[in-house]
Amino acid sequence: MAMAGIAPSAQEISRPPKWRPPLVRSPVAALVAPGVLLVTLLLLGPLAILLRYSFNRFVPGELMVSALTLGNYAKFFADPYYQDVLWTTLRISALSSLLCLVLGFPVAYFMVRLASTRLKALMIIALVLPLMMGNAVRTAAWMVILGERGLAAGIVGLFGLTGRLDIMYTEKAVIIGLVSVLLPFMILTLQSVLEGIDRSLEDAAGSLGASHGQILRRVVLPLALPGILAGVLLCFTLSMNAYATPVLIGGPKFHAMAPEVYQQVQRAMNWPFGAALAFILMITTLALTVGATALAQRRYRRWAE
Amino acid sequence: MNATAPVLLYRIAAVAVLGFIVLPLAVIVWVSFFSNRILSFPPEGYTLDWYARAWSRAEFREGLLLSLQTALFASLASLAIGVPASYALARCKFPGRDVVTNILLAPMVVPGIVGGAAMYIFYIDVEIATEVQLAGSLPGLYAAHLLVALPWTIRLVTASLIGVDRSISEAAASLGAGPVTVFFRIILPVIKPALIASALFAFVASFIDLEKSLFLVGPGRTTLQIAIVSYLEWNLDSTIAAVATVQIAIIAALLLITNRYAQLNRAF
Repeated sequence: MAMAGIAPSAQEISRPPKWRPPLVRSPVAALVAPGVLLVTLLLLGPLAILLRYSFNRFVPGELMVSALTLGNYAKFFADPYYQDVLWTTLRISALSSLLCLVLGFPVAYFMVRLASTRLKALMIIALVLPLMMGNAVRTAAWMVILGERGLAAGIVGLFGLTGRLDIMYTEKAVIIGLVSVLLPFMILTLQSVLEGIDRSLEDAAGSLGASHGQILRRVVLPLALPGILAGVLLCFTLSMNAYATPVLIGGPKFHAMAPEVYQQVQRAMNWPFGAALAFILMITTLALTVGATALAQRRYRRWAE
Repeated sequence: MNATAPVLLYRIAAVAVLGFIVLPLAVIVWVSFFSNRILSFPPEGYTLDWYARAWSRAEFREGLLLSLQTALFASLASLAIGVPASYALARCKFPGRDVVTNILLAPMVVPGIVGGAAMYIFYIDVEIATEVQLAGSLPGLYAAHLLVALPWTIRLVTASLIGVDRSISEAAASLGAGPVTVFFRIILPVIKPALIASALFAFVASFIDLEKSLFLVGPGRTTLQIAIVSYLEWNLDSTIAAVATVQIAIIAALLLITNRYAQLNRAF
């Protein structure tokens, strides 16, 4: 009766003699109600309001005018600037999640198949600690490395080169930062899936003469596909919504979607357009995620046959 | 072990990739001790002055205190709300359980920047309607951070409750213990490690939250993450490295404590 406890339907209310407060009627409702109410009031409700506002009209100086227009969405898709912002965000997200996969897979495989229990535990700590350090600090660290007089420039300088490295404030630098921030997510996701693959399958393939490359391609990768997909989609979603890395490593001339949402809502106070940006970002991410899952499932079925 | 695997290649890849993840943090700790006036490599000498300088800046000092305070509230309030809900999710069958689970985990699924924008607009709307200021206020910030922390509590505590053998609580019940006694005397002690782990995780999740706080901080009321990002937009020196090092030390200590109670990789 939990859902009834949150929103009693008209039917229930129309039975006055038997009606008791939902919290008395069902202890389960009482247990989940505070959390559900909190999330509904502070997140889901406001999201609905945000969606509604994305159809309003913005009049400078007046905050906004209630309307029912697709003008904000049309503006986004008509303006080459915003199309460029979306493309840049999609490009860096796709590249960094693929790089995470390529770099992360060998590490996850090593952890599961080749490392001792002790080493594996250490590696997990080495992955989780950075994950919980916060993107602000981790991005700051990359700024120290990639900056004009940073560590990378210092190392280049040791070899008698200019000592100047113009990588900060470029797309490359943003991707480096994102990959470093997101890699632990990828490795931990792959690790948990690889743990579930029976080792004897690989040994069997090996004993029948398969090389390690063949074992990976024909045995491990097909079985790990759900985990690979989950890891790639997680990294993709996180980089689509990344804020600190594009703002700080990308610099003022680099534009990604999440900072643009902040800019419109908080700075320009153009709520209708900011709301439209937020939903374009969420829907694009969701559509690509769902599309990739469907595609992978079809392919997976073919692979399995 | 897979006899054909090129172990050496894997080892090199693992060291290189882990270095790529961990070394930046080591570098920023190192830089916090440089005596170079302008940040550059190699160091000219070492000093602790940057820590004093970081502490002397109000935004970092007050930011750290506000962040600790907010995270403490979020972590405890999230236990108070999350543990009963987790109990219902793990122990009771009821219609709409999946919906309730999805609602409770939603703050983790909705992108921080979108959720932050929605909450900010909602706060302003409430302020216009009732003249109660929420955006930039302490309760407004607390509520947002409680939302950030809640899914962590739900995930960790539900997982732990599912693992509790039902026969212990049935045994207690058959000896005459009521449901409340069973919960406080049997269930809570059994899941204590998960409670500690989830409190610490929720604390850290709130402490490092950037996107939601971005919208909700106000003049003179800035969390540490926002202070770091605003500083970095205009400056890059060892002051920020000292701040980062303090944060790294706090979080590392908390997570190493957590690691004694729960397997860290299970949380992701």
